[in-house]
Amino acid sequence: MNAALYSTYARTKSRIMFGLCVAFTVLILGILGLVTAYLLYLGLETLSLRFFTELPTGDPNAPGGMKHAVVGTAILVALASVVGVPGGIMAGIYLSEYSANSMLGAPVRFVSDVLTGVPSIVVGLLGYELLVVPLGHFNGYAGALALAFIMVPIVARTTEEMLRLVPNSYREASIALGATKARTILRVVLPAATGSVVTGIMLAVARIAGETAPLLFTALGSRLLTFDPKHPFPSLTKQIFDYATGPYEGQKRLAWAGILVLVGLIFVLNLAVRYFSSRSARMAGR
Amino acid sequence: MLSGRRWLTADRSLRLLTTTAAVSILLMLAALVVVLTVAAMPSIRAFGWSFLVSSDWRPNERTIERPVRTADGKLRIEDGEVVKEVVKVLPPSFGALPVIYGTAVSAVLSLLVAVPLSLGAALFLVRIAPRRLIAPVSFLIEFLAAIPSIAYGIWGLFVMTPFLQTHVEPLLVRLGNHVPGLRWLVQTSISEDGQTVVRMLAPTGRDMLAGGLILGIMILPIITAISRDVLKAVPRAQIEGALALGATWWQSCREMLRYSRSGLFGAVMLGLARAAGETMAVTMVIGNANQIAASPLAPAQTMASLLANEFAEVTSDLHRAALSEVALVLLVMSLLFNVIARWLVVGKRARTAAAH
Repeated sequence: MNAALYSTYARTKSRIMFGLCVAFTVLILGILGLVTAYLLYLGLETLSLRFFTELPTGDPNAPGGMKHAVVGTAILVALASVVGVPGGIMAGIYLSEYSANSMLGAPVRFVSDVLTGVPSIVVGLLGYELLVVPLGHFNGYAGALALAFIMVPIVARTTEEMLRLVPNSYREASIALGATKARTILRVVLPAATGSVVTGIMLAVARIAGETAPLLFTALGSRLLTFDPKHPFPSLTKQIFDYATGPYEGQKRLAWAGILVLVGLIFVLNLAVRYFSSRSARMAGR
Repeated sequence: MLSGRRWLTADRSLRLLTTTAAVSILLMLAALVVVLTVAAMPSIRAFGWSFLVSSDWRPNERTIERPVRTADGKLRIEDGEVVKEVVKVLPPSFGALPVIYGTAVSAVLSLLVAVPLSLGAALFLVRIAPRRLIAPVSFLIEFLAAIPSIAYGIWGLFVMTPFLQTHVEPLLVRLGNHVPGLRWLVQTSISEDGQTVVRMLAPTGRDMLAGGLILGIMILPIITAISRDVLKAVPRAQIEGALALGATWWQSCREMLRYSRSGLFGAVMLGLARAAGETMAVTMVIGNANQIAASPLAPAQTMASLLANEFAEVTSDLHRAALSEVALVLLVMSLLFNVIARWLVVGKRARTAAAH
């Protein structure tokens, strides 16, 4: 009697928990849907070509566009990539190709993982101390440095993982043909993994393009179109933040449009990553 | 070696270059710790350990005044204004307790939201989802992780906080007013200079509750993704064994959860670390008040939001040093969480791999 009762209880509980698991997943996707729906709804209302071609006007109700911020973010990301991409790739090559018999591999791997978890605002503080204090004022280089700092460990770890997908037989064949190790890496291993390494870089670019916190007290932001990173430098994220927290309705709407552009860019990059990584996984025979 | 005549061969230079890059990753972490410690030094010297337990955050000195009363107890008025005398001048002082408290409470709130949802979704992906659904659902949840903080901030500020203010918080206020023992929900006491003032809270939607909720949403994907991987690593025999012994579906799931508990704990720790360091979204919805209040309806401040709010506009060198010390505390905390989490997740994986 008791056993039957228990069994009914256990089975009912099991059904409830099953339902809850499904419900929670639906709820998470619902939240995602809610966020993107608002982005699309409010962003598309304001988004037009003017967003990319016009500079801010003085008038808060007809605030113009965000050309300066789009250009600013592009320059900041490019500057960060100039340091971050080669640095990250080199470290990734080390981890994948050279670290087998070295004491350095494990700690470097561990530290890069830990670095990806460091709050980005703290990285901003580092940029401030290293480049804003010596120059005496906020500047774009400090922002780019902070972004590069965030980029390096991400690129390093994804490069390592992608290079590890290249079958060892490639390396052995190359060495057997008399190629040096450097030649093997540069001419055989890297080309075999180019697609997926580029993917990793795109992920890192998507990540830093959306960063705001490290720019707050490095690049600071600016309402002017500028190409000189020695001065306070505009960025899409900081401009969105300023508009969103400011008092003017027109600027708030522009902030929604800006967020839509940013999230759209990140969505496309993520989709591309998914496409490339499924392709390269297939190529690696998985 | 054919090319042995030259010292700097392509082989050697590539090895040198890549090793330098790898070492510089180690140096990056060292630079972070050293630079922040040096920047925080004036504050560390001035306040010592009491920085962590003091709740004064006064960037500028404050004078406390009191109206002058005449002998018969009336206010003295000259030129139409109440005459005041300076009781004392409080010097600038910095203590991190309110922001440490704010960070801890908002992070715990976020875990209350995120952990059940994430574990549910992870179980869904591992045990329920049909093959066709796994990839798209995983992609969508991972995309949730790629949406930048500022986007959540704007959504939180313009959509979530008004909703909380008009629909959720009035209910909580009614609860606090009518249910005995829940008074703390609706009032906050501010003690300053020995006097304690109790104030009723007017819900604004921008408070600890909003901060915890938005953080919870933001750490959903990372906890889901890692627990999914951890649960996937549970050997099939564990599940099949449980089912063969007559366990219900949920009982076999509990077996999985128990088997991978350290990895799951690691996933939660990573979520916690993310929540503690998250900046923009929290800054936009938490209300930014440097206070310790029991009620989730009171505005609060986290370490990260304090930095975001004040660092660009510091009023003195000591203020900057104090903020740097807050950043240092945040860094050390997140390093600690990350190290523990990775040790648990990776360690568990290595152990399950060895068991196969």
